[in-house]
Amino acid sequence: MQIIVKTAGDDFASRMAQMFENVIHQGHGSLVLVFLIGVIFGGIIQYTRVDKFEKIAGFAMLKDTIVPKMLFLTVGLTSIGFYFLVEAGGAHYHIKPIIWQGLIVGGIFFGTSMAIFGKCPGTGPVSIAEGRIDVLVGAIGGLLGGLVFTLYYDDFFKVLMGKSAGKLILPSFFPGHEHMVVLIFGVVVSIIAFIIPKKEMFDEADLCKLPEDQRPDRQS
Amino acid sequence: MNRLPWWMGGILMSGLLLMTFSVFGADRPIGASTYVPFFAGLVFDLDPEKYSYLKEIKHAGAWEGVMLLGSLFGGFIVSVFLTKTFRLSLVPTGWKKYKNNSVLSRLFWSFVAGFFMIIGARLAGGCTSGHFMSGMSQMAISSMIFGTVVMISLVVTGRLFYNTKED
Repeated sequence: MQIIVKTAGDDFASRMAQMFENVIHQGHGSLVLVFLIGVIFGGIIQYTRVDKFEKIAGFAMLKDTIVPKMLFLTVGLTSIGFYFLVEAGGAHYHIKPIIWQGLIVGGIFFGTSMAIFGKCPGTGPVSIAEGRIDVLVGAIGGLLGGLVFTLYYDDFFKVLMGKSAGKLILPSFFPGHEHMVVLIFGVVVSIIAFIIPKKEMFDEADLCKLPEDQRPDRQS
Repeated sequence: MNRLPWWMGGILMSGLLLMTFSVFGADRPIGASTYVPFFAGLVFDLDPEKYSYLKEIKHAGAWEGVMLLGSLFGGFIVSVFLTKTFRLSLVPTGWKKYKNNSVLSRLFWSFVAGFFMIIGARLAGGCTSGHFMSGMSQMAISSMIFGTVVMISLVVTGRLFYNTKED
């Protein structure tokens, strides 16, 4: 039997095939590795339950602090690891530009929506995978948002974003003390993760299938 | 174990980010919002040659698209076998407690918030993954600006949108 994969057409199936083909050739890891990065990413998010409405919107209501604790620890540890990885020639910087208007207007849109939706673009798919239909509806909204952004990019959104003020990193403000800045930043951010008081909003519907002795809300 | 503690999640996520950053991994940051306009192009059958934005995100969108398929798979497997949370649901418990019991209200607000969330992420050039996690780990000033604005608007909206005094 011969399997023929069409990658030249412009129907949905061939464009999906083109997506895989693109990843194979763009040199940012093999197709299997990229898929695996996604599996681990989704797995960690699901296993720690940070995709839950009660965790993200709960943080917006200041009734749950698991999301900021985990985020800060991730950033603190990664910043030190990343810096030394770069020094050793094992990684490169991929800095996003400072586009003031885009960052501020985009940040306000993003933060407001995140509080109402209780998801972000990375945690949303994980929630869809556990059967949340409301999140699927939100994803359709997101897809339309992506469509509108693409259609009016040149005429409207690019203008709204404004000019780039360059790409800057914190250590470049302290020439000669880069190592020190990185260490202080990493350690301070990690300590913040532990200092933030631990608060959790539990969801009975989410925990009722677990055996009594394994429920996180029964352990103090 | 049915749940991972937050510090374990932080350590594992950090390991994943470093692996992805390294030249032995993918030599790029993790991002999770560029795939949305990329898929919008696919679903609504837009010609990638005609739209400058689709040209710009051609590679990043494809990379994140494959990663997204992985995270759907990973999330599904873990929810069925480890956390045992897989079930079809419409309204989250927290929404019922602090907002209302209406399915229609939840679906409406999800749709609207999903729409503006993607516009916001693309305006800023990243989301929680691309800016907050990957960007701040590189100590990028742009990501710190974004992170601060998001944190403030998140908490302000949380206070205004929900009835948090009812317990």
